Amino acid sequence: MSILIDRSTRILVQGITGGQARFDTQWSLQYGARILAGVTPGKAGEVVHGVPVYDSVSMAIASHAVDVSVIYVPARFVRAAALEAIEAGVKLLVITAEYVPIHDALYIFAAARASGARIIGCNTNGIISPGESKLGGVGGMKPDEIFSSGSIGVCSRSGGMTAEIALTLGAGGLGISTSLGMGGDAVTGTSMAELVELFERDDETEGIVIFGEPGTPNESEVGELLRTGRVKKPLVALLAGAFQERYPSGQSFGHAAAMISSDKDTVSAKKRELASAGALVASSLDEIPALLKSRLAQ
Amino acid sequence: MFRLNEHVTKAWLRRCGCAVPRGEAASSPEAAEHVAQQLGGAVVIKALVPTGRRGKAGAVIVANDVTAAREAAAKLLGISISGYPVRQVLVEEKADITRELYLAYTIAGRTLEMLVSAQGGVEIEELASSSPGAIVRATVDPLSGVTAEFASVQWQRAGVSADLLPALAALSARLYRAFVTGDATLLELNPVAVDAKGRLCVVGSMMAIDEHALYRHPDWAGVDDDDNLPTNERERRVARLSRELPGGECQYVELDGDIGLLVGGGGPGLYQHDLMLELGGRPANHSVTPPTGSDNRKLKGVIEAIFEHPSIRGLLVGFNFAQMARTDIRVRTLVEVLDEKKLDTRTFPIVIRLFGAGEEQSRAMVAGRPNIHYVPRGTSLKDAVALIIELVARQKQAGA
Repeated sequence: MSILIDRSTRILVQGITGGQARFDTQWSLQYGARILAGVTPGKAGEVVHGVPVYDSVSMAIASHAVDVSVIYVPARFVRAAALEAIEAGVKLLVITAEYVPIHDALYIFAAARASGARIIGCNTNGIISPGESKLGGVGGMKPDEIFSSGSIGVCSRSGGMTAEIALTLGAGGLGISTSLGMGGDAVTGTSMAELVELFERDDETEGIVIFGEPGTPNESEVGELLRTGRVKKPLVALLAGAFQERYPSGQSFGHAAAMISSDKDTVSAKKRELASAGALVASSLDEIPALLKSRLAQ
Repeated sequence: MFRLNEHVTKAWLRRCGCAVPRGEAASSPEAAEHVAQQLGGAVVIKALVPTGRRGKAGAVIVANDVTAAREAAAKLLGISISGYPVRQVLVEEKADITRELYLAYTIAGRTLEMLVSAQGGVEIEELASSSPGAIVRATVDPLSGVTAEFASVQWQRAGVSADLLPALAALSARLYRAFVTGDATLLELNPVAVDAKGRLCVVGSMMAIDEHALYRHPDWAGVDDDDNLPTNERERRVARLSRELPGGECQYVELDGDIGLLVGGGGPGLYQHDLMLELGGRPANHSVTPPTGSDNRKLKGVIEAIFEHPSIRGLLVGFNFAQMARTDIRVRTLVEVLDEKKLDTRTFPIVIRLFGAGEEQSRAMVAGRPNIHYVPRGTSLKDAVALIIELVARQKQAGA
């Protein structure tokens, strides 16, 4: 099993005629993902790798019931595209664009909540349930080279790190139920804690790995889940960015979200909090498999 | 985040229908005197630096006539406030203030927040710590926004008297629209002044905006660059590239170590930087490079900046296993810069950890070049970091 997507998930791709969307669609289809329809206004009637293109979400879903929409439109069109999907009744949206204006993001997150829809991202490189389905660029052309199927759920602030975590787990003989880059923006549609809770409820996920960064309360909220007993599965946390504490505050390194705005948001503080709540804190990737196995055996 | 100077903020607020004092920016004492004359004499001179607490920092001077205005401008121009050099002052008519209120809109964690207080003015930070109850906080639903009704409830909670409420609530709603349509991450109005007749005027204002929404505000592009771009020449050059060229963002942050870090934007870059410090290496920089596309000018700009750092002795090119990016674009760009700069790698070790699409071409491009160590598949990020530290240490020993 898996969370969010599996082999039965029916997929719509918004912005399907763009370069990245075509590329990812091709490799997702190859992987077995059920991409049923695409949308690009003005391109109705076109076909992308066998997938029919429609002018709007409502026209697409009139012919194809879908469970999820992957949205590839550029940042400035995300708001309109997401609202269109939400209004058409799509319950899971995966938004890949980076640099979506924060007010647009907050608005569509609120709109999704009001309609009972969930948004993954923005700025996610996708979701993969190995052997089942994949959305977005995750895994590239050769997902099998990186992701093997198994019982570990992975939730990462960084899309790039999902590949390194998967390779490390694989080398340690562990496979993955679902892996996702939740998006590295300051505010995301779904928090790390919400995703960890989904893994907790998933029967076939036996252990969880999170990758965290400085800034934002995401990792501390996971600590809270462990502390209050809402998550009982073994959880390994790898957090990067402690180096920032050695430099003057206010300096931004990389993602704007990774800027520390309060002492609670430093990697050191988050590590302490997670460790005291019962998480296994890894200091480098190679420690992850052994840490997981030490608990899975119990 | 990008902070606007107050004259730009005020112009925006005026456009959004909010009352602000008349005024103009001036970059010399004579210009300030001229503006003061036009405004009728009594003015306030404010240093235009994009930071709060200017009143406390002595950056706001009341001048009762044009001579005093010129002297105040002369005093402020050229000094530095909270690290910002004062290049311009704002000359504004002196408002008639009987009461000062505080209002701010901000993005706090995952929510929009409205903050109001009946006790505005320069002591607001002290008030926030001494009696936090005097500042009322309310979460704003982005779908409904701040209506006059909503604002009225918050001001009532803050203890503002009924006679002021209608005008204040209407102004608050207009300011909220200025906050959202201006793509601000922070809009702080302090004080919102009340005059003897009960009229309202936004006397102090500070606004920070979302850089990713600048395309909606072409007027603001570059307007306060001098205050918002880094001062280091190499950092500044890369920051400009980031803004001016298409494709994702790039960043170069200079540090005082000796090992260059050419890494991606997110997690893997942070992770390798941590490892380098843990293993005893000293990064010469941190970097952010955009996804690989057809245009490699941003990547090239970052690599050039890294090589121009005077104390650099070696380079780590460390990326996560590529899922979407192409390794050969990165290596080709690196080789381009090496050749253009005629860098002799015999005394300058480079470790490359790039796996994924285009890897074969990538390896071929650096094959035969001395001291470039393209690590074998399966090498961990950590082992690549350890290798560059060792090579640089060995090189320094040999050179000593």
